[in-house]
Amino acid sequence: MVVQLRLILSFCWCAILVLCLTACHDSIDTQEGDLTHIDYRPESYVLQVPAGFPALEQPPDNLMTVDGIQLGRKLFYDPIFSIDSTVSCSSCHLQEHSFTDALAQSNGVAGKTPRSSMTLINVGFTYHGMFWDGRVASLEEQALKPIEDPIEMANTWENVEERLRNHATYPAEFRKAFGIENKDQINRDLATKAIAQFVRTITSGTESKYDRFIRGEIFLEENEYNGYLMFFNLDNNLPDAQCGHCHNAPLLATNDYFNNGLQEAVDLESIPDKGRGLITGDPIDNGKFKAPTLRNITLTGPYMHDGRFATLPEVLDHYASGGKNSPNKSTFMFNLHLTESEKADIIAFLLTLTDSTTLTNPAYKSPF
Amino acid sequence: MEVLPGHHNSGRGNKASAAIVSKRLNPFTMKLLKYFGILLFVTFLFQACKDDPEEGTLTLHFKPLYDNQPLQLLITHPYDSPQQIQFTHMSMFISDLSLYDQSGDEVLDDIELVNVSFSNLPSAEAGYTMTLTGVPARTYNGIKFGMGVPPDINQMKPADFPSSSPLSLTGYYWAGWQSYIFMKTEGHLDSLGNGPFDIGFALHTGSDDLFRILNGPVPIVVEDGKETVLNIGIDYKKLLAGVDIKGHPQNHTPQDTSELVKIVNNYTSAITLFQ
Repeated sequence: MVVQLRLILSFCWCAILVLCLTACHDSIDTQEGDLTHIDYRPESYVLQVPAGFPALEQPPDNLMTVDGIQLGRKLFYDPIFSIDSTVSCSSCHLQEHSFTDALAQSNGVAGKTPRSSMTLINVGFTYHGMFWDGRVASLEEQALKPIEDPIEMANTWENVEERLRNHATYPAEFRKAFGIENKDQINRDLATKAIAQFVRTITSGTESKYDRFIRGEIFLEENEYNGYLMFFNLDNNLPDAQCGHCHNAPLLATNDYFNNGLQEAVDLESIPDKGRGLITGDPIDNGKFKAPTLRNITLTGPYMHDGRFATLPEVLDHYASGGKNSPNKSTFMFNLHLTESEKADIIAFLLTLTDSTTLTNPAYKSPF
Repeated sequence: MEVLPGHHNSGRGNKASAAIVSKRLNPFTMKLLKYFGILLFVTFLFQACKDDPEEGTLTLHFKPLYDNQPLQLLITHPYDSPQQIQFTHMSMFISDLSLYDQSGDEVLDDIELVNVSFSNLPSAEAGYTMTLTGVPARTYNGIKFGMGVPPDINQMKPADFPSSSPLSLTGYYWAGWQSYIFMKTEGHLDSLGNGPFDIGFALHTGSDDLFRILNGPVPIVVEDGKETVLNIGIDYKKLLAGVDIKGHPQNHTPQDTSELVKIVNNYTSAITLFQ
């Protein structure tokens, strides 16, 4: 009887043990990838918008947070996005070159990109299309594109998402930035949101000589001032250099698209690089490209959408000549009859747009 | 004079009497009262429906013309013989668009950037369309709007407006004038009439002095639930009449507005209404 009882008791213990082990096994399964043990305390980030700038407009579903920006900064500098882990966003947007790459055409994993990389300075204030042709509407949408571009990163988002989910630290950082509960929730939407948050912080509008002149803090030298007057056509006694139409203050850009006489064509259809026209489908937009900001222009060469001009004097020569003819060439493009001295004055003014603090700002540096 | 206080007192008295009466009502009377109540409710509903404001829709088509014909971009037109002209861009700010009658103005739209640059004929014929809903239904004496940005708003800058507003567009602000560009007319001129379009022109109006309010005193009937269509033609041949484009292809220095004044003075002959 005692033996039987002992047997029954032993059996019960075994059963309990098996039950416990099974329960534990289930528990391990359900908790795999669980991130809820990590604190999620989003702290809003308020960007200091330079005086005179438009308000920074953020998508309501992607308001900037300290952790979101921090994650975005890491992703921006991480080559994890490219198929062979060699190219990151920062490969074409280097801080020391004012977030361009000093190349006519950028290096992707599979060769040269067809267009020159654009500066990211103040791109958060761009509300009328990204890229040279304005093909996407927002920074979040923009960040989606290079990953699957066959030249730039040649990857797939499925692959990138898998890499991010299995990364040693990113799941926790996505948790802190977006409050996800499981690493399976890491996706392209959140990755691009984080990158967009970081890129929105890259601003310049207070520290250049031009900004300090506009605030009345300093003088410009005679040649710089002459250049300023010609740039914005403020003096009847000096020629209108026609710059301000497309590069208006305070961003020194207009969020608009122009045919600036880079391509010779007898009709709209024969313009080789159709630019904006391929996006809108309206032939009147063929050969038009975005007018980028001229802030830090001395640091962002080579110039134009295809990087055809290596130096600012080449750029000035092009604009002063009126460029090549095509039916929809901007009406601001014609022979300006500028003297060499006047061109030099305009370049002197362009130099005042340099803000070297953007090149060294630790908030923009690689975290790796 | 004495009646009013009496009425007031009798009201209070009636309330008390009603309370007493309700205690004495038989089922038949209750039923009658119930039907009466329903009837009252239905009548009230009908009355409420009747109180709904009567509104219609006003659709405006701004149509670019050249010598009364639809104007599309990059088509060659004769201009001040032997010169020939082609257009590449035409746009303008319309402000405080209102219908008016004896009771006053009905402001329908504060600001609109009307872009009449069309590269194909069907679009040029259709024009730029503004659809204004919820317009109180009645017969108006006319329509009026500002050509440009009114002085109180013109003190502001693009950075003061959200990106959804056309007033945020920096390409429509000219620092030299401290003003928005009210109207852009751009294109190329064949100044010798021999083929090549040798002069690019950009005639931009702006500054408070060149702001105008246009008034079209034509009866406009807006009916409840219906659409009223009004066409506004902008004839660029008339608009540029007398303008020396060859001598002044660009007008952006603050002191040089002589040709721009001519354009502004041509508004009344160039901009026409037709239904």
